[in-house]
Amino acid sequence: MCKTAATQRHTRAMKLLVLCGATTAARTVCAEPLRLRADAVAEAQAPAGLVILEGQDKVRPWLYAEGLVWTGTRSDPKTDPAADVMVLAVRLRDPRGFGEIKGGRFVVSTGAVRPVQIDGAHALGRAPWQTTTLEAFAGAPVVPRFGTTGYDWLGGGRVAQTLASRATLGASYVQRRSHKDIADDEIGADLAAVPVPWLDLAGRSAYDLTSPGIADALASAAVRFAPMRVELFAAHRSPSRLLPATSLFSVLGDFPSQSIGSTVRWEAAPRLDLLASGAGQRVGGEFGGNGFLRALLRTDERGEGSLGLEGRRQDVSTAKWTGLRGLASLPLGHGFRYATEIEIAVPDAPRGRGIAWPWGLVALSWRSASGWEAAGAAEASSTPEHRYQMNALFRVSRTLEIR
Amino acid sequence: MNRWLTLVMVLSVALAACAGVLGLKGKNEQHPFEHRAHVLKGVNCKECHAGVNAAGELDDVHFPTPTDCVRCHGKPHDTRDCRTCHTEPYVRESAELARKHLRFEHSKHMTQVKGDCVRCHLGVQESNPTALRPAMATCFGCHAHRDQWQVRDCDGCHVDLGAERVKPTSHLVHEGDFVREHGVRAASARELCSSCHAEKFCASCHAVGTAPLLPARREFDEPKLAGLHRAGFRARHSEEARAQPGVCTSCHSESSCKDCHSRLNVAAGGKARNPHPPDWMGPARGGQHGVQARIDPASCAGCHGGAGEQLCVSCHRVGGPGGNPHGGNFHSTKNKTRDVPCKMCHSGGL
Repeated sequence: MCKTAATQRHTRAMKLLVLCGATTAARTVCAEPLRLRADAVAEAQAPAGLVILEGQDKVRPWLYAEGLVWTGTRSDPKTDPAADVMVLAVRLRDPRGFGEIKGGRFVVSTGAVRPVQIDGAHALGRAPWQTTTLEAFAGAPVVPRFGTTGYDWLGGGRVAQTLASRATLGASYVQRRSHKDIADDEIGADLAAVPVPWLDLAGRSAYDLTSPGIADALASAAVRFAPMRVELFAAHRSPSRLLPATSLFSVLGDFPSQSIGSTVRWEAAPRLDLLASGAGQRVGGEFGGNGFLRALLRTDERGEGSLGLEGRRQDVSTAKWTGLRGLASLPLGHGFRYATEIEIAVPDAPRGRGIAWPWGLVALSWRSASGWEAAGAAEASSTPEHRYQMNALFRVSRTLEIR
Repeated sequence: MNRWLTLVMVLSVALAACAGVLGLKGKNEQHPFEHRAHVLKGVNCKECHAGVNAAGELDDVHFPTPTDCVRCHGKPHDTRDCRTCHTEPYVRESAELARKHLRFEHSKHMTQVKGDCVRCHLGVQESNPTALRPAMATCFGCHAHRDQWQVRDCDGCHVDLGAERVKPTSHLVHEGDFVREHGVRAASARELCSSCHAEKFCASCHAVGTAPLLPARREFDEPKLAGLHRAGFRARHSEEARAQPGVCTSCHSESSCKDCHSRLNVAAGGKARNPHPPDWMGPARGGQHGVQARIDPASCAGCHGGAGEQLCVSCHRVGGPGGNPHGGNFHSTKNKTRDVPCKMCHSGGL
């Protein structure tokens, strides 16, 4: 009996060894390398130091793995985490594209489901006629600092139909529970369409089943005709429905905020892009608006160097401020680059928080062809909390590609 | 009239002076190769790009050499290599990247298009260097490629898409205010986004407790990177949050405000200083707090969520002095005596 078990173990071990050997052998002809990156980031302010490690590999066309973790020093052990896992996911995919399954820690976002980071699984299946897809996901929402909460889970799915290769229509459902109680229970619809090559349409809406009504809805229509792109957009949000239904603040009733506006991008000259955006808003029964104008000038044909200027105005409810931002990013040769960014925001009602909030950063970076990077910056600002604040930032990175 | 004329003249002079800076006038000797002139002269593509019709997937890019040029241009006007001026380096680099990262055989396509290169290389006739490479929309003219697209089989054509460093121009445009726009676009195309973007791309902004890895903090030397939290966001975040109530909740849990505010002593409890204006809890109808809580309940939950909700319940419980907190249009499917949060106020079957 023991001999049989030992033989079975031996056979399984041999199979595993052969599989590993085959995988290793396959790597020699693999088109995509194993990508690794390590960053060491240091700041004069908290968090004072961080080490970030990330890696991704498409071992085979059907197998993909990715990880991103960080660890850092603590300024306050009670509130600052010492380490966390941001992504740790493995994806298996049918090479013909008829299905995939993903497991681990990742951000799930599909249809009307707003992005949520979960420890769980996500599966996607496509019908043989290719135009219908079915998605399902389930897991536990991530709690920072390796924390846990009891009976906290999330599950849902989406079914989508592509119409004449021009449009995709989807319907989704998500339920989230917190300590056994329903925190989110929503159905949603989404649409993306390109009826003609110069017109993009997209929309999504989520309907709250706990407190029946639209939780949020977004729509966008963009027209492209060189050298311009014009987008019209609209948004509707019900803040009380966006909160978990277990929160006491979700019972205050529906006071939605709405906005409607347009963004225009104009390639005014081969090296000059202009972007203008404006929107009318309704917040808590009051009307207002916001807008910005941004110019970006490339200093060379390839856009390696650039100068930018942006003006912004926000005027709605109690949020009224004007801002101006300038940036420069210029190559200095031999892998060196100089970058600077300056911003000043002026609130209409300072209320003891300072009449203006300036912020500035000057950075110098270096990048080698062998994958080393180093950058240092000095940052200065004045905020509502601090009259002045100085900070120094450093980063050393190493990128490796192993074939 | 004179004023307008002066203005027009000043603008014209300014534009002429800035023509080089704006890219309206080439600064260097290099300029795009005159494909159009050659096409009009009736020169067949294969005369210069010799061997391209039989090229397989692993063959070199078939760029003409100076030897090919002097076959017709017997007396060159310059002794230097023709490619010194009659090409642009990034066009060549782009073609070489395409060669490296696309599974493509000219030999197979030549028979399909009967030797007519312009069927795919539509930009050749315009001498536009950026349009020399066929757009993906052109590839989709073929049913096989469209079927691959339907099932997101990018590997069918692209090898190591991330390293190809090519931005989509024909099927998913990242122009305009894409930071605002990406959410609605990704809703129906999450799978399409993931063909280029790894999980960490979404997680760097949308993950819980992501602050140390926000692109704006990690890549502080790249001011061109778009992002909601760039530059002096910390100073203006309360203005931004109040301008778009609920938008923060799309990514952040209500407790994420508390972590930071506790450290800065602007949260409830301890040695906190009160961030509310003087009329917040005024005698007339409870002051401003009720109105503001309805407009942006997430801001209140940021500090007073969880155990802090008891503060509200102390006045707004059934029979309490705070009165009914529900708006006129409030309705819920929850059981008011059994479910959270209703039972906090409606205990005892009230």
